[in-house]
Amino acid sequence: MTLRDIAKKIFFLEIMKGLALTFRTMINHPVTRRYPKVKRDPFPGFRGRHAFVRDSETGREKCVACLKCSIVCPSRCIRIEYKETEGERILERYEIEALRCVFCGYCAEVCPVCALVLTEVYEYADYSREHFLFDRERLLKNWDDFSSGLKTDTYFNKFWRPEGIDIKRMPVGKRLQEPIPIKHEEKVL
Amino acid sequence: MEQMEIEKDLQTRELTLNMGPQHPATHGVLRLVLELDGETVIKCTPHVGYLHRGTEKLSENRTYIYALPLMDRLDYISSMSNDVGYCVAVERLFGIEAPERAKYIRTIMSEMTRISSHIIWLATHALDIGAMTVFLYSFREREWLIDLFEMTCGARLTVSYPRIGGVRCDVSREFLDSLYKFTEEFPKRIEEYETLIDQNRIWLQRTKGIGVISARDAVHCGLTGPTLRGSGVSYDVRKHEPYDAYPFVDFEVPVGENGDVYDRYRCRMEELRQSNRIIRQCIEKMPDGHILADDAPDLDMPPEGRKRLIPDMSLSHACISLSDECEHITPAGEFYSPTEVPKGELGFYIVSDGSGMPYRMRFRSPSFVHASALPRLCKGHMVADVIALIGTIDIVLGECDR
Ligand code: SF4
Ligand code: SF4
Repeated sequence: MTLRDIAKKIFFLEIMKGLALTFRTMINHPVTRRYPKVKRDPFPGFRGRHAFVRDSETGREKCVACLKCSIVCPSRCIRIEYKETEGERILERYEIEALRCVFCGYCAEVCPVCALVLTEVYEYADYSREHFLFDRERLLKNWDDFSSGLKTDTYFNKFWRPEGIDIKRMPVGKRLQEPIPIKHEEKVL
Repeated sequence: MEQMEIEKDLQTRELTLNMGPQHPATHGVLRLVLELDGETVIKCTPHVGYLHRGTEKLSENRTYIYALPLMDRLDYISSMSNDVGYCVAVERLFGIEAPERAKYIRTIMSEMTRISSHIIWLATHALDIGAMTVFLYSFREREWLIDLFEMTCGARLTVSYPRIGGVRCDVSREFLDSLYKFTEEFPKRIEEYETLIDQNRIWLQRTKGIGVISARDAVHCGLTGPTLRGSGVSYDVRKHEPYDAYPFVDFEVPVGENGDVYDRYRCRMEELRQSNRIIRQCIEKMPDGHILADDAPDLDMPPEGRKRLIPDMSLSHACISLSDECEHITPAGEFYSPTEVPKGELGFYIVSDGSGMPYRMRFRSPSFVHASALPRLCKGHMVADVIALIGTIDIVLGECDR
């Protein structure tokens, strides 16, 4: 055993080194956040609460009841009812059971008219199950809640037209989709 | 005289101790029935199945595409690797080749997952043995990686990012810049972890010579990944059956010597460095181009497994892609496709009857196989070492029970 080894044994050198690191970190800037007070902004495209985009012309949702979203949903949590008049489908009922949803984002990606979106809202815990059954009105309300909190003038979800995928694969509605203008209510002073 | 009579009545009996399923150190809901003689474990029987969700059965009722989000939930610490493994398997079945750029992106993602999974392994393993500080620091780096996942695919843990025939969306410039900065920082961080525990005498005493498994036994038990490589067997699916961009990057497969807890720890630490190297090379070599193969199935592929219609510009066709011009693309047959996930070799055995949904899907999950090696590892060790041994085989019960 060399002198060095003995010194190591007696003076706990390796533990001292570790402690030095710990003390160094004590004076560093903390990396943690005090969550309910300091909120974290999710990145654009975060897959959170569902919403129906409110069409600025009609004031209603844009859904054409093509059923694609309910077909792709891996957890089968979208229920749609429609009636057909003169070759046009009229949406009668639209429900998403958010408690069964796995937030994969397939429904938003597959919608041919970009009617559905997974917004960046992540704080929507509630006390009752009924609040997680999103029907048409609720989905539209989700959109209003979300868009009023937006800071930008337009909104475009990145899953509507994922970058890097050949645009020829997409239906026309997706190819031509423009960023949605967001109307911010004028603040009355 | 009296003394002898008392001693005749005194006997020692084995104690059966039930450890888990709600034990904080069992990394999930593993239940071990230990038979103890004093403090020495004579026999250890693992019981699994507390987290069984029937993923294999569930995927039989879904087309290959919709089954993908289920794979996130196998090993929820490294969901990206599971997805990549599944996509590679289905691509091999369909005969689709992902574009170059998608391959590089998937390799980056797999290696990021490997780093974040190994970090969490190190954190919990050290915490189990008693070194709490590493636990706090390693989550700092993991947070960085998970933020990067969120930046790309909008989810932090259950990513569903890869897609059959490529990935779902392209990575951004900021992503690559931030990741490159990470690869520059990370080797320093690994050194920090090592400063804390590498020479620490408590750590050494708790890990050296514990849970020794010879190379021969390890192979016979079916161990894979770093758990096998710690015993000195150089087997890595990334080297032996390369997929994605692994043939184009340069990396080494670290191996241990003694096959004890300490060697497996060294192996994983070395793998962190190698993963870092792979990510750097991938970013430097990243080609341009599309991220989805031309013949990749669409998200809304009907269950019959048809090819989508090539959309023409008229609106009626653009909305509805079911058409008579479609053709079947799922071939029938059965095959096995292995991939290397952080825990070991994750294999998908798919029996396809050509219907577009798997007839049978079976996962060879490393955690399940590793849990079966616990009785052999634990025998003759102290109770306190059982914790170290559960940590060293790196199991996640979500994947073990599926
Ligand atoms: S996010 Fe996925 S699981 Fe949720 S409703 Fe959409 S398709 Fe279904
Ligand atoms: S995919 Fe879009 S348009 Fe079609 S039913 Fe769903 S929300 Fe409506």
